[in-house]
Amino acid sequence: MFYDDIQFGTRMITLMAAGMLVTQLLIVGQRLLPTSIRLFSLQSFLLACLANTVAYFNHARHIYIAAFLTLLLKVIVMPLFLNRIVKRTSETTEVQSYLNTPVSILICGGLTLIGYMVAHPFIKPHQRGHSTLAVATALFLMGFFLMMNRRKAISQVLGLLTAENGLFLAAISLTYGMPLIVELGIFFDVLIAVMIFGILVYRISEIFDSLDTSKLRRLRG
Amino acid sequence: MKSWLLQAALQMVLALLLSPLVSGFIRKLKANLQNRRGPGLLQPYHDLFKLIRKGTVVSEHASWLFRVTPYIAFLAALMVSLMIPMVTALVPLSFFGGVLAVVYLLALGRFFVALAALDTASAFGGMGSSREMTISAIAEPAMMLSIFTVAITAGSTNLGWMVQAALQHQERFLSPSHILAFVAMFIVLIAETGRLPVDNPATHLELTMIHEAMILEYSGHYLALIEWGAALKQLVLMTLLVNIFFPIGVGARFSLASVVVGLAAYLGKLFLLASAVALVETSNAKLRLFRVPDFLAVGFILAALALASTFIF
Repeated sequence: MFYDDIQFGTRMITLMAAGMLVTQLLIVGQRLLPTSIRLFSLQSFLLACLANTVAYFNHARHIYIAAFLTLLLKVIVMPLFLNRIVKRTSETTEVQSYLNTPVSILICGGLTLIGYMVAHPFIKPHQRGHSTLAVATALFLMGFFLMMNRRKAISQVLGLLTAENGLFLAAISLTYGMPLIVELGIFFDVLIAVMIFGILVYRISEIFDSLDTSKLRRLRG
Repeated sequence: MKSWLLQAALQMVLALLLSPLVSGFIRKLKANLQNRRGPGLLQPYHDLFKLIRKGTVVSEHASWLFRVTPYIAFLAALMVSLMIPMVTALVPLSFFGGVLAVVYLLALGRFFVALAALDTASAFGGMGSSREMTISAIAEPAMMLSIFTVAITAGSTNLGWMVQAALQHQERFLSPSHILAFVAMFIVLIAETGRLPVDNPATHLELTMIHEAMILEYSGHYLALIEWGAALKQLVLMTLLVNIFFPIGVGARFSLASVVVGLAAYLGKLFLLASAVALVETSNAKLRLFRVPDFLAVGFILAALALASTFIF
């Protein structure tokens, strides 16, 4: 059957990785916070599907668990949580960034190319899913760029989460999954981090009446 | 020769008849998504028929340019619709040129519409053409880059050959660069057909209008030609999207069986794409005019990345 064909699997993996790259670029170009959160949810969904495909073709049963956790936490729980924070705190739902959209998109295009260049020496011709490492590196770099570029705390959290998506993508495409205990640890870590960020965001908005992190400079005595 | 003529005639009739239906379908679906009943599917045909029968009013300050433009815009769109693979991969006017001719014929029609809008010296017309040109200055390169991405994989800029190559080497297509190019092309489709985040097709006389502002002075059969030309252009862009990126079902030869299969596949793919367009239109608010270049810049960068990544793999 065609779904047992390893070629077909490779193509599906590459496709989904490309979809993740597209959603990441759209997040960078997006100005509305709720839409960015929805895009992040979509990206995580693609990641979960990709992890499932990798698990199916490499008979790695523990990746199924990681994929399920991704689906549960990153597709459903975290976007809900982030949306609640947005509803409770922010005066506007618009993300504010330091650079304007065309410049940020241009920079992200450059970062993607850097991702491809960095990944190039690792590509062996026979290796499966060879472009996923490039996409993962690009996601990672763009996540960091989002964290630096955004003014508001929530969108910085979103940047961190997309960078983590890139990390997970690199892990499953290179090693076909880390040991389950490591992955569980990472998931727990991210979940706790988001919770703590949530509380922090509440505190920032209470004290400064804004989520603009550049206003935190006022702390200097 | 005979089958060539038959094929050209059939494709022309199909394009002429199908293009208002696609507009009507998007309008209907949009209305249903917004809990309205909306006009019937055949409303665009009624509109065109009504407009053709009506008399035209032409400003006394208008020159010959104003009268010629509707014919040029309509004929350019009609020519382009004969230069793209619709139901079979055989293109009637393939000797005329490939992708570049398609892009530039569309640009020719747009150029004349913009000129005619300036011709009557109404304030709205000038505003409309300046906006249209601003948008197309970014949308056009994005469209060229994303089509070139496919052309490089296929090794030809002839649209018929591009589809043939895609049918033969399915594994070379649907790569990351094609996904990027597809999304870029979709953004171009939204911008070029005046769909919602860029322009609102449902309103007349709104300060933010783009396409409607340009054709405000037209009436009667001139307006019918321009509207029909716009519908043809929309069909052309949608056909490019569905047939070049997903050439499944496109007939390789001109025979009855392949035409029937090709037609069914073509209509199905158009249905999906039109639904996607209606969904995007319903779920997005109109962008502020100065934000439109940002939106198009996303498309441009996606297309540039797509082209760059074909060389990296």
